[in-house]
Amino acid sequence: MAPRYQENDAYILGVTLHEAKPRVTDKRLEEMVYDTAKEALDAVGINRRALDHVTIAACDELDGRSISSMLLAAPAGAYLKDEIKATDSGLTGLCLEATRIRSGRFHLGLLVSWNKSSIAPFEDVMRMRCEPFYTRPIGLNMSITDGLFAAAMQGADEAQASKVAASYGQAAAKNPRGVASDPVAAGAIAASPYVSTPLREGHRPPVTDGAVAMVVVSGAWLNDHPDATPMARLSGIGWSLESYQLGADRLASMQGLKTAFGDAMEDAGLSNAGDLDVIEIEAQTAFHDIATRQALALPADQTVSPSGGPFAQNPYFCAGLISAAEAVLQVAGQAGPVQAGRVKTAAAIGFHGFAHQGNVTAIFEEIPA
Amino acid sequence: MSPQQVAVIGTGQTVFKKHHDDKTYAELVQDATLAALADAKMTPDEIDAVVFSMAPTEFAGIHDIEKWSVDSIFGAGKPLMRVHTGGATGGSALHAGYTHVASGLFRNVLVVGADRVAETPDAQHILNLIWDRFYEFDFALNTVTMTALSTQRQMARYGTTEEQFAQVVVRARANALKNPNAHLKGKITIGDVMNSPAVAWPYKLFDCCPRSSGGAAMVLTTLDGAREKCANPAFVNGIGATSSTVFQGDKTGPKADVEYADLAELEIAGKEAFAQAGITNPMKEIQVAELYDPFSSMQFPQLESLGFCGRGEAPALSDAGAFDLGSDLTVSPSGGSLCTNPIGVTGLVRAIEAANQVMQRAGDMQVSGVRNAVATAIGGSAQFYTASVFGADHL
Repeated sequence: MAPRYQENDAYILGVTLHEAKPRVTDKRLEEMVYDTAKEALDAVGINRRALDHVTIAACDELDGRSISSMLLAAPAGAYLKDEIKATDSGLTGLCLEATRIRSGRFHLGLLVSWNKSSIAPFEDVMRMRCEPFYTRPIGLNMSITDGLFAAAMQGADEAQASKVAASYGQAAAKNPRGVASDPVAAGAIAASPYVSTPLREGHRPPVTDGAVAMVVVSGAWLNDHPDATPMARLSGIGWSLESYQLGADRLASMQGLKTAFGDAMEDAGLSNAGDLDVIEIEAQTAFHDIATRQALALPADQTVSPSGGPFAQNPYFCAGLISAAEAVLQVAGQAGPVQAGRVKTAAAIGFHGFAHQGNVTAIFEEIPA
Repeated sequence: MSPQQVAVIGTGQTVFKKHHDDKTYAELVQDATLAALADAKMTPDEIDAVVFSMAPTEFAGIHDIEKWSVDSIFGAGKPLMRVHTGGATGGSALHAGYTHVASGLFRNVLVVGADRVAETPDAQHILNLIWDRFYEFDFALNTVTMTALSTQRQMARYGTTEEQFAQVVVRARANALKNPNAHLKGKITIGDVMNSPAVAWPYKLFDCCPRSSGGAAMVLTTLDGAREKCANPAFVNGIGATSSTVFQGDKTGPKADVEYADLAELEIAGKEAFAQAGITNPMKEIQVAELYDPFSSMQFPQLESLGFCGRGEAPALSDAGAFDLGSDLTVSPSGGSLCTNPIGVTGLVRAIEAANQVMQRAGDMQVSGVRNAVATAIGGSAQFYTASVFGADHL
C-alpha cells in the first residue's frame, strides 16, 4: 500500500498563539516564548526531546538585545537541538522551515516567532534599518515609507482606506485570539491624525505583544506516526525581496508580492487566486491591503482576512506568521467565530522591510479525510 | 527519499583587514559576490535564491543590512533571507543554502555576506550587550572574558599550558602567510605570544583574533548543476548543528549535559555531520579541518569533540606537529579565525576554505590529496555550533 503522505512534504501538526495583549507586563520575553513553545508541543503530545530541529524567527533589534537567540533559543525548545534563526520576519521563518523539512534531512520541528513590541523603541529601530549615507540622515522610518507607499498607490484614497480599516476592526472584534477592542467607525478613522500623508493613524493597526509556534512535520514522519493528525499541508511557499530603492515605480508595482504569490501558487499547483478559499493578509496599513487585492486582482467576493489580520493582533515581527496560523486554523476548521465555512485552501501573505520590500506567501491545504 | 545532492561550485572572498575605507558595506558584499560568480562561471541571472550571512548587525550599525545590499548582489526580485546564529551565522547560512537546494525548491543558491567589525569603536562593548540585562551586563562579560573562563577550566582539567596555546597562534600566523586574504599573518615565536600584552588571563593579545572587515560568498547547486559547471565540485556531504544553553554555569556542574571546557556540543553536531557523510574515522578520512577558533584555546577541544583524538590529547599532538601543514590532518591551513575574524561571515569563510581545499582551488594553501574537509562555526556564549563536511565524492 502506498504511504498516505508524501515523504518530503511539510505538514502543520499544531499551532499555538500566545494570548494577545497590547503590552504583556507579567512575563519576560523568555517566558512568553517558553509558554508558547511548550503549549504547542503539549497540544499535540510531542516531547521536546523528540524534536530533530527548531527554527526560530526573531529580530535582535526589536528584542532589545544583540544575538537575542542566546537567551531565547532554549525557551523556544532548542536546547541541544539543531537550531537556526531567520531575521526577516516570522513568515520568512516558515520559508526556512519549509526548506528544512523538504530537504529530507529534518522531520519533526518546532517553528517559533515572537515580538514583544512594547519593549522596543519601534521607529528608532526602523530608522537604524536605513543605510547611513542618504536615508538615515533625513530621518526615514517605517511611518514615512508607508506614507510614501500610500501616496504612490494608484486607485486608492483615504476614504477607501478608512473603510477598509474599519471593516477589519469589526472582524477583529470577533476574533477570540485578538486583542479585545471596540471597532472604530470609518468616520473616526478618517478624522484620526496624519502619520505621514496620506496615511492616518487609524489606517494602521497598533503594534501589540505576542508569540506564535507551529509544530511542523514531514510526510515521512506522519507515515511513521499514523495516529498523528495534521491540521494542514503546506502546499505552496514563495518569497521575494524587492529593490531597496523607494522610487514610485518600485512602490506601486507590487512586483515582489506578485513574484512571491506566483511562486507559491505554482508550488501549490494552483493557477488563480479564486482557487483560494481564504487569504489572510498581514497588511500593516489599509493601503497595503487595498494594494494587495489590486495587485493580485482578487475577486470581489474573495474572503480576505476573516481574522481581522493585524487589526486583531499585531506583534509586528511575527504578525505574518500569525496570519499563517489563522490560515491553518481556517483549513482545519478550527478558527472559531471567524471560521469562513469549509476552507479547503488558504493562503497567508506577509511583508517585511520598508514599504513591502520583502514579500512572502504561504499556502495551506486541507488534509483529505 | 534521500536528500538531493548539493555541491559547492564557486567561492569568493575579499581581502580582510581592519577597515575598507574605500568601499561601502554594499560594495564589499558585491565584490565577494562577483568573485564567487566568476569562480562558478555563472552570471547573476543564473542565481535562483540568496541566503545572507550577517549577524549581529550592530557591528556595522545597520539593522536590515541585507535589504540595503540586495541591489548590489543582484538579488532584487529573488527569494532572499538572512540567517543568524551569532558567530555561527556563516555555518548556519551554509546549512540554509544547503536546504534551499536539497529541498528541490532552487537549483542555484548564492550564500553571501560581509562584516565590518571595526566599524564600531569597541566590538567587545557590543559583545557585552549579548548578555542578560539583569544579571550579566554589569560585570565585564564579553566574548574574551567568557572564553577565558572556559580556557582556565580547560587548563585545570587537562593541564594544558599557555605555551601550548601559543603554539597554535604560531602555526596559524605561519599558515596565513600563504593566504592572500588573511588579516594577520607572519612568522612569530611562542615567546612573541607569551610577551604580548595581557588581555584576560590566560589570554595575551596574540591569543585573540583581530576585528576584521570583508566579504565572502559561495555558490551552491545540484548534482546536475555541478556536472555542468565544475570539474571538481565540493559536495556538501554532511551538516550538523547544536544549540545549547546560554548559561555557562549550567555546563560546569556534575549534572551538566555538556562540559563547558570541552565545547562538547560540537560532538553532537560533528557526529551528525559525519554520520551523514559516512565518516567513521575522522583522523583517517578527513585531511583538512577549518576550525572556528577566534581564540587560541578553541582548537584543542574542537579537535577532540570531532573525534580526531581523545579528550585532553590534542595539545600534545599539536606540540608534536600533528596538525601542521602536510601532516595527516592539516588544521586551518588558511590561518583560521585567529588570523581573520569578520564575525558575520567567519563561519562561511571556514566553509569556503574547506571547500576550496576539496576543489583543489586553495592556491598556495593547497594541501595535497584532500578528499574530505570539515568546517566548524561557533556562536553565542559558545552555545551555537555547526559542523559541515565537504567531500570530493558525492554520497
